[in-house]
Amino acid sequence: MKAIQVKNLVKVYGGKVKALNGVSFEVEEGSICSILGPNGAGKTTTIKIITTQIPQTEGEAKVFGMDVKSEGSKIRNLIGYVPQELSLWTDISAYENLLIYSKIYGIPRDVRDKRIAEVLDLMGLEEAANRVVSTFSGGMLRRLEIGSILLVNPKLIILDEPTIGLDPNARMLVWNKIMEYKKEYNSTIFFATHYMDEAEKYADKVFLLDMGKVVISGTPSSLKQLVAKEKIYIHLKNEDAQKALKILSNLKEVSIEEANGNRFVLSTKTSKKTLPKVLNLLYKNNIVVSEVSVKSPSLEDVFIKYTGHKIEEESNIKQALATRRMIRLGQ
Amino acid sequence: MKTDEIENTISQIFAMVELEFRRVIHDPSEMVTRAIQPILWLVVFGGVMARAGVFANIIKSDYITYVTPGVILQSSTFIALAYGIMLVFERESGILKRLLASPIPRLNIILGRSLAGAIRGSIQYLIIIPLAFLIGANLVPSLINLTLGYIFITYGLIGFTSISIAIASLLKTRERFMGIIGAITMPLFFASNALYPLEVMPAWVKVIADYNPLTYIISGLRNLLIYNSLNIIFDFFALTIFNLLAIFLAVISIHRIIE
Repeated sequence: MKAIQVKNLVKVYGGKVKALNGVSFEVEEGSICSILGPNGAGKTTTIKIITTQIPQTEGEAKVFGMDVKSEGSKIRNLIGYVPQELSLWTDISAYENLLIYSKIYGIPRDVRDKRIAEVLDLMGLEEAANRVVSTFSGGMLRRLEIGSILLVNPKLIILDEPTIGLDPNARMLVWNKIMEYKKEYNSTIFFATHYMDEAEKYADKVFLLDMGKVVISGTPSSLKQLVAKEKIYIHLKNEDAQKALKILSNLKEVSIEEANGNRFVLSTKTSKKTLPKVLNLLYKNNIVVSEVSVKSPSLEDVFIKYTGHKIEEESNIKQALATRRMIRLGQ
Repeated sequence: MKTDEIENTISQIFAMVELEFRRVIHDPSEMVTRAIQPILWLVVFGGVMARAGVFANIIKSDYITYVTPGVILQSSTFIALAYGIMLVFERESGILKRLLASPIPRLNIILGRSLAGAIRGSIQYLIIIPLAFLIGANLVPSLINLTLGYIFITYGLIGFTSISIAIASLLKTRERFMGIIGAITMPLFFASNALYPLEVMPAWVKVIADYNPLTYIISGLRNLLIYNSLNIIFDFFALTIFNLLAIFLAVISIHRIIE
């Protein structure tokens, strides 16, 4: 069963700003999928369509086989969605937020308090339950928001930039809680992010989105194989650079990317076997290596290969601002 | 609708009301500061007019008593009409997105929010009525009349809150929204029977006042609180039409707030 199917999705705001330009992808039930891309790529717009908030201009979107345009109310019963912006009432307590949401979600009265207690416990917020939410840290706010959608055990969890603006510790805690829940209930998780390390670490499948289009998708490891190269950084102790260069250039498993004095950057398909070979060879020739490090390819490299620019680059900022403005004015 | 669906609907609507109550309890200061202006109207303006003995033949009571429902409505109508700003804020935060992507039907969001805004507005009644008694207003001291008055004003304010939700949905930014609300509140107040009886109005103002829902809330309250009459059926009927129209307007415009 597919949790999400999206085909040739196009969204035009105000007749002129094209936020989506033919997005297609599928999310398997029970998997964790991420849509990764820079600001303004169309991540939020895609999510707004899937969560039945706005209609698409063209194309098709289905959640558990149901059409977002005609079966919105059925879909809304199955999803739990946390938007990028804060979705809590900050002038009441954490418990009160969960209470109001549990009523909105239609949780029967007799199980309400039990569910709220479970969620507070799962999210590590029992002690803060009666504090007014405006006193919470960013990480606590996010955990409370995610907790509030878990009240109903949604089949599909949709998170828009779940850790934006959080420090690394808080980010990790938020993700630990999400994964803890996932392990227990096996819901499908679909999240948008511009942090490639998160997509790489937590997603089974990643869709790279740029300028309103999915440029490429796959498992993080299969995507990284597309870039194919790991990099080996070598720093030699003595001045045998010429000799080393000669030896290394005869080795067919590596290619020399950079040779700068006694520093070399080599690229290779996999460093696991190549690195010992390189080091042995240098050792046999009495060349002393003082430092060595390996850098694996990241999704950033994949992104750069397929779009020609970085994920967190400012070049798209104008497009992003124009889209946001149109969304804000609602035209 | 099945029983559990009805129960669910009621629970969702009252969740919105409960939310409002909990917010007011956490921070009641707005409710108190909002009451300052009507109290001044009552004490200063009402006091002066009462000494001058205005409209004495028409209003069949002293002026302070007469103007009490009017000044309550002046501040509670403003609160109800300004309630939509909440939606503008919630639109800018993520709350509205969450609500629109959750199982709660949009009609229940509107009904719940309209009732919540109305109750927020009618808190003014609870503050000003005791004060009016204190400064000597000659209101009917009957618990039944006073309670009916509270229910009646809350009922009437539902329509104003719905109108506010519709305006917020169409205008979308707080600047535009507050501009409009500022522009309509005072005319609404002056073109009603809040400060003076319909009989003394110029004909064209009276025509507006006849179509002004505020007139019917105030008229119903005067019957209950001043003239000790339970004859509020006509006013209730007029407000029902207004409420239905206003809720309809809010329902057809709410989807535009997110687009």
